[in-house]
Amino acid sequence: MKKGKTTMIITAGIVCFILAIVMTMQFKIVNETDITSIENMRKTELQEELANWKTKYEETNQKYEETKQKIDEYKANQESNEQAAQLIEEELEQAEMLMGTTDVEGQGIIVTVRDLENEEMVENIDSGDLILIINSLRAAGAEAISINDERIITMSDIVDINEGGYIKVNLEKRIFSPYVIKAIGDPAYLESSLIGNGGHVDKLKKAGHEISIEQKDKVTINKYDEEIKTKYIVD
Amino acid sequence: MIFIAILIGCILGAILGMNAPMISYTYSSYLAIAIIAALDSVFGGIASVMKKNFDLKIFISGFFGNAILAILLTILGQKLNVDIYLAAIVVFVWRMFMNLGIIRRYYVEKWTEKLTKKEK
Repeated sequence: MKKGKTTMIITAGIVCFILAIVMTMQFKIVNETDITSIENMRKTELQEELANWKTKYEETNQKYEETKQKIDEYKANQESNEQAAQLIEEELEQAEMLMGTTDVEGQGIIVTVRDLENEEMVENIDSGDLILIINSLRAAGAEAISINDERIITMSDIVDINEGGYIKVNLEKRIFSPYVIKAIGDPAYLESSLIGNGGHVDKLKKAGHEISIEQKDKVTINKYDEEIKTKYIVD
Repeated sequence: MIFIAILIGCILGAILGMNAPMISYTYSSYLAIAIIAALDSVFGGIASVMKKNFDLKIFISGFFGNAILAILLTILGQKLNVDIYLAAIVVFVWRMFMNLGIIRRYYVEKWTEKLTKKEK
């Protein structure tokens, strides 16, 4: 065998050997590489993937923000509803207080009017006197008034029965002397509306009735006992 | 004799390559371009044998030189953000087809010569 041929054979063998090594390695890499696995990915691919995830994250974040905002809105709504409910409740309370369906207390005056017994010359107190007193009290800003613990409300009536035999209040309640009129309001105003020139209490006093007026820091007025019924009012 | 050497080389290389450690996917493109370059050199060598102007030194230098050059070009391309390896692949595959054409022509001519001899 020639020397040249031997070297050529050896070289061909070596070349094929190297080629085979590299090719099988490459085959193996291509076969076994899972493109999706991060470790084997190229930088650009990773960047792409990262960008994808970033956009996804941003989208989700945006959604989250939107939902959060909605929840906040709902919460605010709820709060305003609560506020409205509270406001309505307060109003209701106020209305009830003014209507007379609740017990109330505050500073005010107590006027006690007594019929004089065995005094023929003096007329008994009649409903007109009481109405005048109550009207004066109202004119002086009384917020709640009661006679003998009968609350005087907007629909209250004060009527004489049997020609001065007794007085009827609030449809069916009979009241007798002494008449205790309680009123809540500015005590000084209330009192000044009754006494002094033209005050009805003065007139009654001059007529000989026994009337006392007390200013009090705390007057308690009971609520209207009956149910307030409306029959003809529509709406 | 030369075929036995080629066969042994291929088998040994395949066995060794199967047991070689995994190379990262990042470098597989360099390896691929090196393989294309080496294959081109091999076909070129075979073609030159056919043409009877085979030179071992040229073959060896072309085999390793082309592979290394292709890898370097690919790296450069990645650095420049230009896909130079595409150009390398085009050139190498084109040359491979040229060389394969030379080899084919050589064998076809040989065959037709034989046939015409038989007919005579």
